[in-house]
Amino acid sequence: MYRVLSKGWTLLRGVLITVALLIASFALPAQAEAPTFTVGWSVYAGWNPYFYMARSGILKRWADKYGIVIKVQRFDYAASLDAFVSKNIDACTMTNMEALDMPAAAGVDSTSVIIGDYSNGNDAVLARNNLTLAQLPGRSILLVQKTVSEYLLERAMVINGLSGDLPHLKLLNTSDSDIVGAYLGDRHNQVAVTWKPLVSEILAQDSGVKELFDSSKIPGEILDLLVVRTEVLNRPDGSGVRFAKAITGAWYETMAELTGSGSAAARAISGSAAASDDSVASYKEQLQTTHLFASPQSATQFATDAALKQKMDLVRQFCFHHDLLGQNIHSVDDVAILYPDGSIQGKKDRVRLRMDATYMKLAAQGKL
Amino acid sequence: MKNAFHPADLAGIQVRPSRLWTQSLGWVLFLLGIALYVNLSVARHKENPDDRVAPSAAQIYQGIKTAALEPAEEDDPLDPGATLAERLTHSMLWKDTVASARRFLIALGLLVPAILLGLHMAIFPYFGALFQRFVLFFDKIVALSLLPILFIAFGIEEWSKIMLMVIGVAPTLILDSYNIARSVPREQIVKAFTLKSTNLDVAYRVVLKQVLPQIINSVRLNLKPLALFLFAGEMIASTDGLAYRIAIMRRHMGMDIILPYVLWVALLLFVMDALLRIANRRLHPWYQPL
Repeated sequence: MYRVLSKGWTLLRGVLITVALLIASFALPAQAEAPTFTVGWSVYAGWNPYFYMARSGILKRWADKYGIVIKVQRFDYAASLDAFVSKNIDACTMTNMEALDMPAAAGVDSTSVIIGDYSNGNDAVLARNNLTLAQLPGRSILLVQKTVSEYLLERAMVINGLSGDLPHLKLLNTSDSDIVGAYLGDRHNQVAVTWKPLVSEILAQDSGVKELFDSSKIPGEILDLLVVRTEVLNRPDGSGVRFAKAITGAWYETMAELTGSGSAAARAISGSAAASDDSVASYKEQLQTTHLFASPQSATQFATDAALKQKMDLVRQFCFHHDLLGQNIHSVDDVAILYPDGSIQGKKDRVRLRMDATYMKLAAQGKL
Repeated sequence: MKNAFHPADLAGIQVRPSRLWTQSLGWVLFLLGIALYVNLSVARHKENPDDRVAPSAAQIYQGIKTAALEPAEEDDPLDPGATLAERLTHSMLWKDTVASARRFLIALGLLVPAILLGLHMAIFPYFGALFQRFVLFFDKIVALSLLPILFIAFGIEEWSKIMLMVIGVAPTLILDSYNIARSVPREQIVKAFTLKSTNLDVAYRVVLKQVLPQIINSVRLNLKPLALFLFAGEMIASTDGLAYRIAIMRRHMGMDIILPYVLWVALLLFVMDALLRIANRRLHPWYQPL
């Protein structure tokens, strides 16, 4: 059959296909050029709902309402921050601490659009042999350094009047992928600081390990945010604002399902548990120590409360004293934070992180 | 006889480029790489003056200064009157280099028995029978996947990292020395025996002596896997070391420190390789294949 077809025919067909493709490629975008936004998320009790939100079609409905396309992509946590800082994605889930020391400190002006939850026991200091905090100096402490784990440990020491011992702590930087095995494998490792579900794994496998301190004693200090690049929000065509509205609307619809009751809640919980291959029971256990802001009202109230500034101040001082803001930042005020009431923590001309309550407020007023 | 350069020479096998050409061509790709980086860095800084992904020359210079002259963040600060030598030997870079070099050299030392084992396997049939199949199997094990077991067996501090390097590289080195030693012609061994050599004479003074330059070359090729395993171990659990610092700096995009560290590691490996190469040439002037 092919032999019969002359060379000229194949060539002609090739040209025809090329022309058709060219026409199609010009015609299609002209027809529907919906702005596309990518949200990066990583596995964590408070962020898993993004997976369910995208899967269940809630997100698509809201995106369609605002005439945009929203893609949701799962990353490893560190990789998601890298992607956000290098501007490969438009929005990303992160804690308030990383929002400050990764994008904000790297000069990427960022806006926190949703305060999703705070860790209310998800992070914990674990120890064997009934050690107390006062006995920690001199013993190696397994943790991922320069993360909320180290922040939690410092706060534990300070709150218990042991700040003088801070320089004597022996920190052993241990990757989160190996910390469970390393801690359980050797009884000489007495102390570890980590987060759930790793905390639960350790506690379940060794009854000799006790929680010395957990994040429920510092409520509202370890925040889990959805952060959008400010330049994306400020796009002149308004698509960035539409994106923020759509994702906020979708988020609170998801929250209502997740914290509600009946079959919808069960579906939302199993859908979110599936995001990290957790069992429903394990995910529920993680949710118990995650203070989700179920309603936009509660989130707005938290975001506009003056206490937020004090809490953020603790975090930014920590970041600064641990050089997390960079070598060339010589004052903690060089990475300034803007709050919903318009006040600024730090230098006015160096606002890098904006705690924005606009969209949560709109959701609370039912105006999305 | 000097000929002017002609474009057709590029495709010539018989051409003899002048010294000027060979020397300068060797730097072209370096310059190109630097130019591409500078271009990227300048573009990123134009958009965002605080960019940390591709630090500028000033940022890198500042990073090098901090790394080489300031103590690590977890250490006590130096008093301002410290001399330059004191500052260097109490610096972050120094501390990390010493920690990593120590692990590296201990692992390298532990590889010497591995080489001798390979030699014995090649020469003594009973050794070969006992070890060869097992080493061949062990060579295919991905050492990194054994890490949790290493933690249990050797603790989380120094020895698990050193053993990771040894276990990762030793099988390759054993098999390589085995193959190299096997390639010594049988006639030589027979001849040595006719000259009243003992077994050990043959092993160490006939075979080892003439395969040593090849084995040193094999070690040189294995420096990089060794460094890789060192990095993997330090990134997973550590309190100091070059890769530890890189892992920590990655947490807040400290590329101004990471880039100098990466280049420093490259330089150290290059120097170590060069030292082995020179030693090899000095010790075995009769062996000149490479």
